[in-house]
Amino acid sequence: MNKALKAKDYKSDIKPIWCPGCGHYSVLNAITKAMAGLGLDKDNLALVSGIGCSSRLPAYVDSYGFHGVHGRGLAVAQGLKVARPELTVIALGGDGDGFSIGGNHFMHACRRNINMVYIAMDNEVYGMTKGQASPTSPEDWLSSKLTPHGPGVRPFKPAAVALASGATWIGRAYSGNPNQMAGLIAEAIEHPGFSFLHALSQCITFCPEQTDWKSIVKERAEPACTHHDQAAAVFFNEEGFDTGVLYTQQRAVWPPQQGSAPREDALDQLAAKFRV
Amino acid sequence: MSNESLALFLAHSIELESEAKNRYQELSETMATHHNDEVAQFFARMAREAKRHLKEVRQLAKGLELPKIRAWEFDWPGEEPPETASYEELHYLMTLRQAIEIAIKNERTAERYYRAMAATSSDQETITIATEFADEEVEHTAALEKMLADLPENGSCPRLDDDEPNMPE
Repeated sequence: MNKALKAKDYKSDIKPIWCPGCGHYSVLNAITKAMAGLGLDKDNLALVSGIGCSSRLPAYVDSYGFHGVHGRGLAVAQGLKVARPELTVIALGGDGDGFSIGGNHFMHACRRNINMVYIAMDNEVYGMTKGQASPTSPEDWLSSKLTPHGPGVRPFKPAAVALASGATWIGRAYSGNPNQMAGLIAEAIEHPGFSFLHALSQCITFCPEQTDWKSIVKERAEPACTHHDQAAAVFFNEEGFDTGVLYTQQRAVWPPQQGSAPREDALDQLAAKFRV
Repeated sequence: MSNESLALFLAHSIELESEAKNRYQELSETMATHHNDEVAQFFARMAREAKRHLKEVRQLAKGLELPKIRAWEFDWPGEEPPETASYEELHYLMTLRQAIEIAIKNERTAERYYRAMAATSSDQETITIATEFADEEVEHTAALEKMLADLPENGSCPRLDDDEPNMPE
């Protein structure tokens, strides 16, 4: 029998190059703790990402990984899960990657309800390109030279969009509480359907004010919402950030045969249909 | 040997020291990546200290069947184990003085945790070991305070960087 793996066993030999204090370290630790807590088999695990600081994460995990095209991590991850339903597939990326460049993939991934996890590591900034406003930057954020008067537009609401688009599990975590985040990732992996985790992950370098998140983040005391209207009321009226499982619903996953074992002869049968 | 209270306490102590070691190691590596060698070396030293203490706790736990607890199921007074350096307090330009101050804060938090364990446990063995651990944390704090006092004044000068970090793909 194999010895139980510890969180560190899920880390690769490649060392992260994120800035010291970056919230992404916390997300990486939470992911590996969740994997260890669930005892996941590394050979059946795939992490898929787009482009950006956060999207480097698959390189730091000792599993299958794909560091893909900007905003297209979800597209690749969905394809992988449909083709190989036995795998645990986790898509990852930042707020720019997922909500701007990849915004369309985000909505349709929620709508399809493929049985996988999407972790959006939101630091409200494009960090890799030195600190431009992102879709989730506050309207009056004044720290970028490109938007000296602030972005001037309302920030994107990831949880509300996920809800409206049909995600069946929505959670929020904060990099200041990696152990809670690990538990939420484990729960997201176990949820049968598309699970969206909004991971608040501070950028200490370009948004030092995010150290104040600690004072506006609070663990949700109530159980997860199970109705759209109830969840919408929470997402549009919350002050600060609630963390925990915010919304959950049971709905059939797509494609319908997702739950069954992969058919080795499926490709041959498909080819036979087109044979002339 | 069966002492559930002690086993639970030692499982928490092992996690506490293990997390402290891993975080200091991680911080050392990331500071080295960002060319803050002085702070990197200090955090590496703290990681070695935590590793040594972890070994001692594991030795004490030998023969006990420790409960299997997942990372999010431990019972800590805060979000993370008490001796784990918080990400919020870090910066790649931080000085050695700031790094030592963080380490002192961690040692004090760990001491408070062990004292609280000793004060709330009804198991004599747990009380004795928790008190020993708390006393050890006091020694660590004193050593770090001496290190801080011996630092030259310019050890507190903020570091400057004209070109903020850029992470090439």
